[in-house]
Amino acid sequence: MIGTAMNERPDITQKQAPGTDAYRRLIGKLPVTMRPALNQQFTEWEMLFPYERNRVVTFMKGVETYSPSALDSLTAPLWALEDKMGVKHWDFTQAVDTIENASQLARSAYYAEWRREVQRVVDAISAAARDVTPAPVESTRLMLIVLPANLPVDPQSVWKQWDPKGHEIKITGSTEKLCQLVIQGQPGLDGIATLAARQGAQDSSDLWLIDSEAKLHGMLSQQAPIAAFSLSFSNLKPLRDKFLAELNKAPKDIEATDQIIANLRSEAWGGWGLWPPEVDSQPRLKRFLIDLILSGNGVLIFSNSFVEWTAAEVLRRARPRTIVARFGMRIKPKPFTSIAIFENQQKVSSLPDVDDPENSAIDAAILARYSWLAASRYPEQDHTICVCVAEHVDSAYVILPEGKSLGWAPDHAVAPEELYGWLGKQFIA
Amino acid sequence: MDASRRNLLKAAALLLVDQWAGKYEYAFAGQPSSTAGKNERKIIIVACGGIRRTDSFQDTGLANIPHLSRELMPHSVFYPYIRNAGATSHYNTISSILTGTWQRLDDWGKTEPTSPTLFEYLRKRIGLSQDDAWVISSNKALTSRIGASSMRDFGPRYGANVVFPKQLLINAVIKAAAEGHPDHSADRTAMQPDLEAILRQADNYEGLGWSVSGDESALDLRMEHTMHQAIENLVRTNVPISGDEFTMLVSEEVMRRFAPSLLAITFSDVEVAHFGSYSMHLGGIRTMDRLVFELWNMVQTNPDYSGRTTIFVLPEFGRDFDGSTTNGFFNHRAINDSTSLTWMMCLGEAARSADVIERPIQHVDLCPTIAGMFGVKDLDIPGKPLPGLSI
Repeated sequence: MIGTAMNERPDITQKQAPGTDAYRRLIGKLPVTMRPALNQQFTEWEMLFPYERNRVVTFMKGVETYSPSALDSLTAPLWALEDKMGVKHWDFTQAVDTIENASQLARSAYYAEWRREVQRVVDAISAAARDVTPAPVESTRLMLIVLPANLPVDPQSVWKQWDPKGHEIKITGSTEKLCQLVIQGQPGLDGIATLAARQGAQDSSDLWLIDSEAKLHGMLSQQAPIAAFSLSFSNLKPLRDKFLAELNKAPKDIEATDQIIANLRSEAWGGWGLWPPEVDSQPRLKRFLIDLILSGNGVLIFSNSFVEWTAAEVLRRARPRTIVARFGMRIKPKPFTSIAIFENQQKVSSLPDVDDPENSAIDAAILARYSWLAASRYPEQDHTICVCVAEHVDSAYVILPEGKSLGWAPDHAVAPEELYGWLGKQFIA
Repeated sequence: MDASRRNLLKAAALLLVDQWAGKYEYAFAGQPSSTAGKNERKIIIVACGGIRRTDSFQDTGLANIPHLSRELMPHSVFYPYIRNAGATSHYNTISSILTGTWQRLDDWGKTEPTSPTLFEYLRKRIGLSQDDAWVISSNKALTSRIGASSMRDFGPRYGANVVFPKQLLINAVIKAAAEGHPDHSADRTAMQPDLEAILRQADNYEGLGWSVSGDESALDLRMEHTMHQAIENLVRTNVPISGDEFTMLVSEEVMRRFAPSLLAITFSDVEVAHFGSYSMHLGGIRTMDRLVFELWNMVQTNPDYSGRTTIFVLPEFGRDFDGSTTNGFFNHRAINDSTSLTWMMCLGEAARSADVIERPIQHVDLCPTIAGMFGVKDLDIPGKPLPGLSI
């Protein structure tokens, strides 16, 4: 919860766990409702992405700038509010964020006021942190969102609700080629992994391939200077099925759900042989995925929900330089599917799967926009080029950082090679 | 809707009502279940999950609600601004609507409302029988505790019958799969034995979460012979089987057999939004729109209801705005007008003078309004009587 509110700059390197004990003592001086998220991050330090480590350390540096009396003064209204809310009488866990915690907060009559107060405190500490940490050097980022050719999006409305500062462009030739060019490069211009490495990217959390199917991972060369974190809804099917079965055992009860979530998070999923090879050797990616599944409704059910929520969480937690998100097809609801939607559809119905292109296109179109909206919440958006390609209509929507402009007239149709050539130049400029 | 689908729904709805009747040994004797209120006002509340104004009563959403916006709106008192100022979860919202007091309870219905419900006020004050008070819900975020409060002077003895028809279907699907019969879900008529089995095995309905209590009310056994045709007439469309379709069928059967004076129906097909399918969410809105229209038409033709019924239709809340940190339409927990501000339509007896009331109202205003329509007017609760109605 606090993590969502924090907004520090990401470029302070923290390769080792900081003075955890000192920070935990400092956390203990903060209001009770601020503690779970912070404590959780220190507990799970090894599983955090570099951006997350930087963020939490920066935040604690901000707290350190306050003298005890100044911190008391800053947080006094929040302490008073917690008293009014009766937090000390709640079953409120301080070690970790829980559904029960969130539920107790949300049903308080002071919930809105509480959120405002937390934000005020976080903003003040974040501002103090900025004064004592070096400003990062920002470089251009790329977000490529793909609505594949088998999704018949409506050409009249597909870009209608997108950020008006963007540009609709026409693509000539094989639009499907753009995604491949971005990942693999073209003569005279390297693929995005190499370009990201040239920018200084070292960690896989800087480059993500998120796929409804299983097409993106195979496009990336094994020789790429940084390995991408690659997640495919299709490749994760064995894990999804197992997880779904476990979740469906959960009773409808908040405390029990928290317990089940804790159990599922600590489960040794490696022993089941469920992970695809591209995930199996990546402990942070595995933990990210478990958390993703436990936090995102629909992640186990619909591939497009998986792609969107993965992108949103990647953006929130890793702030990557490059993200490629490819949406896809879902099957038509079978009889009873909408009734027992959280069940494994292959198990509850013997009817064969049938694609649902029109409705998949509706789902993917709004979720593609949500992916950009997720990105636009963070300051990195100021340096991000977002390209959403609708292959079915040979069209794309391009959102550029302030000060950048298209390299051609908007009514000029560009070939995929030309488009990637331009994107690559912007990326390394 | 194809014949097998109709047959399944028909049989399942029939089974439900027969089970209630059998369980409590009702004597079907050709009379309504209670004498109180049968010639008096009837009120139906239809709460339909989380629906954003942008997906319904705004230019961008009118296509999803053709019946509400074109056919029913001209006959309604319409409130374009109703605010859910409480916790925007299902159990808390329905509890708040029914009690006229913002409830802040466990979201999963582990505790009863902390103020008396409409059912309790009416049953205690004007002597409605339990068969006059029903909650029929698609949404299992509710529990049977929704039917009565924890207040000492009120409580379950004045509560409502509460049933969850959709849960019956879910249990049947799961049972068929668990027993290695996924073909039952594909062949709808084959599902009937699973439905029957669940109803018969559910001890005191605990497996379904229901709370149905009988008394000495009398029902007409002969009605059973007309049920098949009656349900056949109610199923008119070609939409896929859904929880709300079935909830509607059961509601209609309850109306035919028990003619309750106060019936609360909650739909929840739109809640598929939690899983991220916007197209299925919009499908849920269209289903709700059609079912409300069917309900309206049924009320016009059912002699127990015709000319004396008021229907209130309202979303429980909206959904989160596009770009919210709570993932937009997926959820309903942002503190924003997109989530807390929605609309309400009043149809029928109390809406004799069609109007649009722009003055903002709140969900808790329903309880004192409906209580007042039954002559119970001195409730000390935060909700205020709604303006613009012919009461």
